[in-house]
Amino acid sequence: MINIDSYAYSNNLKKIHPGEKSLFAVITMAVCLTSPTVITPLIVLALMAGGIILKAGIPARVFLRLMLVPLSFLLLSVLTIAFSISTNPLGFWIAQTMNGLTVGIRYPDLITAVQLFLRSLGAVSCLYFLALTTPMTEIITVLHRLKVPAIITELMVLTYRFIFVLMETAITINRAQSSRLGYVSLKVSYRSLSRLFSALLGKVFVKSQELYNAMAARCYTGEIKVLTKKYPVSLRNYILITGLELPLILFNLLGRR
Amino acid sequence: MPEVILEAVDLDYSYPDGTNALRNINLQVEKGEKLTILGSNGAGKSTLFMQFNGLYRPTSGCIKYQGQDISYKNKALIELRKKVGIVFQDPDSQLFSSSVYQDISFGPLNLGLSEQEVEARVKQALIDTETTDLEYKPTHLLSYGQKKRVSIAGVLAMEPEVIIFDEPTAGLDPRHAREFMHLLKNLSAEGKTIIISTHDVDLAYSWSDRLAIMSSGEIIAHEEPGELFLRPELIERADLALPWLLEMYCGLVEKGWLPPSTPLPKTKADLLMIIPLSPMNISPIPKVSKL
Repeated sequence: MINIDSYAYSNNLKKIHPGEKSLFAVITMAVCLTSPTVITPLIVLALMAGGIILKAGIPARVFLRLMLVPLSFLLLSVLTIAFSISTNPLGFWIAQTMNGLTVGIRYPDLITAVQLFLRSLGAVSCLYFLALTTPMTEIITVLHRLKVPAIITELMVLTYRFIFVLMETAITINRAQSSRLGYVSLKVSYRSLSRLFSALLGKVFVKSQELYNAMAARCYTGEIKVLTKKYPVSLRNYILITGLELPLILFNLLGRR
Repeated sequence: MPEVILEAVDLDYSYPDGTNALRNINLQVEKGEKLTILGSNGAGKSTLFMQFNGLYRPTSGCIKYQGQDISYKNKALIELRKKVGIVFQDPDSQLFSSSVYQDISFGPLNLGLSEQEVEARVKQALIDTETTDLEYKPTHLLSYGQKKRVSIAGVLAMEPEVIIFDEPTAGLDPRHAREFMHLLKNLSAEGKTIIISTHDVDLAYSWSDRLAIMSSGEIIAHEEPGELFLRPELIERADLALPWLLEMYCGLVEKGWLPPSTPLPKTKADLLMIIPLSPMNISPIPKVSKL
């Protein structure tokens, strides 16, 4: 997760308007999820892999490793769709019958499974594109512009910031414990871990009070107003997005017939 | 007589759990002065600071801003906080946004300024704290010193009259501590009133116009640094030490290199200037014989 986050701040597309990147990712994802064929998801995958590796300059190794994360979940769920168990041995494409029970794959199920698999993978790649190229703060700004209620965006700002503060604190406590052999055996580990969490809980309260004080000192009145960096709007990017998405949408529509 | 901008009068403060944090504090801060509050850990410096902009309310006594008792109504507090800014000790509890730019813009936007004005102020604050190159970095990837500078920028951008720095140089490397002192100098030149807290006796001695020493919730002395540091019993009581400049000066006076009437050196340059040349270097004295 930390890795994704640091790439978001250092990739080659960081200067591109976050709205444009979000638009591209969201439309492509919608196109991918609604596609009736397996070809669109494959194109989307190629498009996003190209965007992430070639355009944003993120190492292919990192992208592949990230794609492996959902793969295990996906395989499991897809397998349950592809395989069926039945007392009726008819209609199976590949099957094995034992004691009157038939386990196997029906052809239409296989098609559904493959389509689902590719669609999900395609959609995930769109999300990765957004996550790897656009800092969280910018995504929150886009959400704010889209009139998502302030309570949600403000909470996102604070949560996102404090994930790192908390994690840093947890890592420090963990190091301090480990250097005093706090994780030397299973029993001791459990005890150390429970102390780590209770210490963390205490710190959370102190930190939140300190944060409130510090914000009040800067005239906080219940609404977090911030200025966001302006990004240049590029007509070229909008044309590019339209040029890429239109054929895909058309292709989808033709596929439905 | 100089104008008193901020004042604590017979101020007592106990935490809700009953800990007596501040006792009978009387402190006057003059407009445009450089005041240092020295004190060991837990002496009550940070607690006092939070009284100065109304974050804590005294149990008894009061805080005065420009001669007026401060009011704890919301609107009045906001007005006060526009004038009195605090840079907190731990930057992690001050920076609420992961974006450096957004965090710095928070304060000035709360002042109700226009976007252009805020943009200009953020830019200036970034320049003043040498954080322009951090503008696009997320706060969690910054080092402690960098976070500290960003949190300073966040308060500078509000352009308060009085700026309070809680342990500003703690955690900064020597170069950035020096840059920070330079920044303080510029702020003083602009006429800002500056209060800092520190354990660093050398910094306190060289920089401040006046010093206040706090010990277990009380102000035990409040004078010019030169006079204050020459009272060893005070230094002892507050768990502090003598600045090296003064130790050196006392040593030189004791060994007869300097006459006891020599004025106290304020900086290293002052000291080097008043140390006389060794007799061996002066001995030939050809120039004098010509006279």
